[in-house]
Amino acid sequence: MENTTISKRSIAFGLALAVACVVNAIIVVVKEKSEAVMGGMKKVTGHHWTTHSAIVIVLFLALGGLFGLTRGGRGMEMTTSRLIGILLSAIGAAAVIIIGFYLFVD
Amino acid sequence: MNEIILMAHVLFGVACLVTAAWLFVDVLHANETNLARIRRMSWGAAAFMWLAFLIGGYWYVTSYKVDKAIILKGPWPFAHNMVMETKEHLVIMLLLVATYLPIAAMDNLAKSKDARKLMLWVTAMIALLALAMDGEGAIISMGVKVALLPK
Repeated sequence: MENTTISKRSIAFGLALAVACVVNAIIVVVKEKSEAVMGGMKKVTGHHWTTHSAIVIVLFLALGGLFGLTRGGRGMEMTTSRLIGILLSAIGAAAVIIIGFYLFVD
Repeated sequence: MNEIILMAHVLFGVACLVTAAWLFVDVLHANETNLARIRRMSWGAAAFMWLAFLIGGYWYVTSYKVDKAIILKGPWPFAHNMVMETKEHLVIMLLLVATYLPIAAMDNLAKSKDARKLMLWVTAMIALLALAMDGEGAIISMGVKVALLPK
């Protein structure tokens, strides 16, 4: 018998992935527009990209764990179609922001 | 040594792409007999992507400034200004999607249609993003090459 469920882990880390991708794009715009932010990111690890990557990776892992603990440890509930829609929208929006920024703004 | 590092970066990136394409087909036919292989291959795709990311990141942080200067003086400055700038940030998303793959593969793909649907989207995203990264890498290499060609 087929079922139509996915685990709370897949939902939690799927949502974390969506948030981390959007934050990734926001950091691009902020650091390129603010010399103070860019300078601060360079100071932390010696290179802005290393700091940028570390922030986004840690955010993904932390949010994934956190979303899994919501509702008393039962995690968030969502249909698979909705999760896929959120994932595609977030990744698409982040890609458009990054490409658009370097194409038209920077 | 720089050439070996760059070739290893491309090798592992392409390995991730090929593994994602393999997984897409395997997930279409997911059942109890190929479930363990799908999970192992998912870990493999994530490992390949992490290796490509770490090796490429090391080269980018330590050696890219030389290539960057060459590109910016050549006829294809967009190979840095546009292509490298987008690649270095889009690749972080690819790394996260590849890291998510073994997490999604832990669900019972043989019994859950929705789990298979999610895996198909994730593997497709990895393959498309990896292909885009591959193309961007080729443009960056060409940016260096055209700058070094005799005028």
